[in-house]
Amino acid sequence: MKRLFYNIGIFTVLSIFFACTSDSTNNPGFEYMPDMYRSPSIGAQSEHNIENYNSKPVLGTVARGKLSTFNYSSSNEDYLRAGLESTYPTSFVKTEKTLDQGKGLYVMMCSHCHGINGDGKGSVDHPVYSAIPSYSDSIQIRRTGGNMRDLKEGHLFHSITYGLNAMGPHSYLLSEQERWKIVYYIQEKLQKNK
Amino acid sequence: MTLYKRFFLSQFVFVILFFLNINLAAQSEGEQIFKSNCAACHTIGGGKLIGPDAKEWLSSDRFVSTDDPLGTLVKYVQNPADFGVLEMPAQALTAGEIKQVLDYVDGYVPEVKEVVTSIEVAEEESTNPVIILLIVTLILFLLILVLVSVKNNLKESLSLPTETVFESFKNYVTINRNKIIIGFVLFISLMYLLYNLMMGVGVVEKYQPDQPIAFSHELHAGLNGVDCNYCHSSAKNSAHSGVPSANVCMNCHAVVKGGDDKAKNEIGKIWKSFGLDIETDDFDWNKLDTYQQTPIEWIRVHNLPDHAYFNHAQHVTVGGLECQQCHGNMQEKTVGQVATAEELNKIDYNIKDGIEFDHPTLTMGWCIDCHRQKEVDMEGNDYYTEMHKNIKEKHEGVENFTVDMIGGLECGKCHY
Repeated sequence: MKRLFYNIGIFTVLSIFFACTSDSTNNPGFEYMPDMYRSPSIGAQSEHNIENYNSKPVLGTVARGKLSTFNYSSSNEDYLRAGLESTYPTSFVKTEKTLDQGKGLYVMMCSHCHGINGDGKGSVDHPVYSAIPSYSDSIQIRRTGGNMRDLKEGHLFHSITYGLNAMGPHSYLLSEQERWKIVYYIQEKLQKNK
Repeated sequence: MTLYKRFFLSQFVFVILFFLNINLAAQSEGEQIFKSNCAACHTIGGGKLIGPDAKEWLSSDRFVSTDDPLGTLVKYVQNPADFGVLEMPAQALTAGEIKQVLDYVDGYVPEVKEVVTSIEVAEEESTNPVIILLIVTLILFLLILVLVSVKNNLKESLSLPTETVFESFKNYVTINRNKIIIGFVLFISLMYLLYNLMMGVGVVEKYQPDQPIAFSHELHAGLNGVDCNYCHSSAKNSAHSGVPSANVCMNCHAVVKGGDDKAKNEIGKIWKSFGLDIETDDFDWNKLDTYQQTPIEWIRVHNLPDHAYFNHAQHVTVGGLECQQCHGNMQEKTVGQVATAEELNKIDYNIKDGIEFDHPTLTMGWCIDCHRQKEVDMEGNDYYTEMHKNIKEKHEGVENFTVDMIGGLECGKCHY
């Protein structure tokens, strides 16, 4: 009888051992040298407790190579002013290649709402985004008093940078160069597309 | 008499069908008008967008308390400036069209979508250990035979009775039965544990931690077709494919606040990271700097040790790989997960490129598998013109260059 209990005891201990090796998806598993995987050095988006490490640069700081040619605020007056005054920076080259890159960026960043052809029929399926105007529309729009087909590059760039209506600002996602490429693609291909 | 009855009945049914038909047509037309003229600023029961919620506003005192609600609405929509509303542009709609829109708004029932959240669990069965075990057993059995014959030889020299293999086995078992059983079970289990432990070191396949927000890749990238690079926008430009910051979420979720309570609760967490309440507060992009922001603490899923360098831009922008080739079909899953190698082998892009992984995801063997198989486009990249020319001269007569030929297996490329 004692022996039976002994055996049962062993069996229980083993069962617990096996239970410990469950494949829960919350567990990354055993790491070889964990200090290499979770090192104290600060990587991108990693946790730290250093004070002011993430504080903003001094007001007016310009990152190297990021001097903007587009100095307008998000207000409606500046939107209209940008449409009148602003144009492609001098460093912007209008070539077939730029157009291709612009198309790639447009498909990546815009087409899910504005549609691959710029007709406003994107794949995003939500009532808020069910009435996006087409770039080739000739219907009068409220903001400029003109229509979508006649929007200037300054208008488009301002909208991408600061957002408009239900569209958020995209300056966080796209560099200025990338934004101008998208604007170029819209003007060349989508506004002229009837 | 019956003929008459029948005739009237059929007429009656016809008339009913006719009206029903008209009614349905009006509904869908109202929907069309609403979507093209109103939906940019007004939701139906979805809360304030740019203008007020249409359903709420139409049932408010301001509209209902007038003597002629429809007439007032028609005047209002045709010329809002008369009512002191300057934000809304005048709509060129007839009274009949406005009535249709009103019917549509009244009868609007939000669509309820079911999000499938099943995650496939691939069963893996490997035969290799079994074969190894059989070979080991065979060797051990031979050893037993040898030992027994040695024992018999010794006994013979002492002129004791000899025993066959079977007899000596039987004797041993009868004396040490319990020890054998316990020892055997212990040995096998420990070996199994050890094997699993060793094979699992540094293998993170199927790792899918619970995240602070029940985000669904299936809903965003799958059903709504948002490109991976939209949210993970730094993948194309930098080493890291960052987790999007909360303001990227707000590009849509400042106005998309979720249909049901569960969705509202989850989206509310993004608002909370701005110090805002989704129910009561308004989100204003111009005030972004004044919000008391706290980061959303996502849990990192893909984690390489510090001694391995990986660069997303080099693979996505220069190499032209699709995200799915390494991350699996994320557009069919919920929160981030490390895809298994078996799963990656089924991805169309990988089949097209002739890539087959033999090693677990995120191990070095896995990287090497791809670097040995993936062909490189040697044309059209100005940055590498000189280097590609030299490599072509080095490998004369070779047409398809794989990554290892351009230095993809050099230690220093990833470990430095």
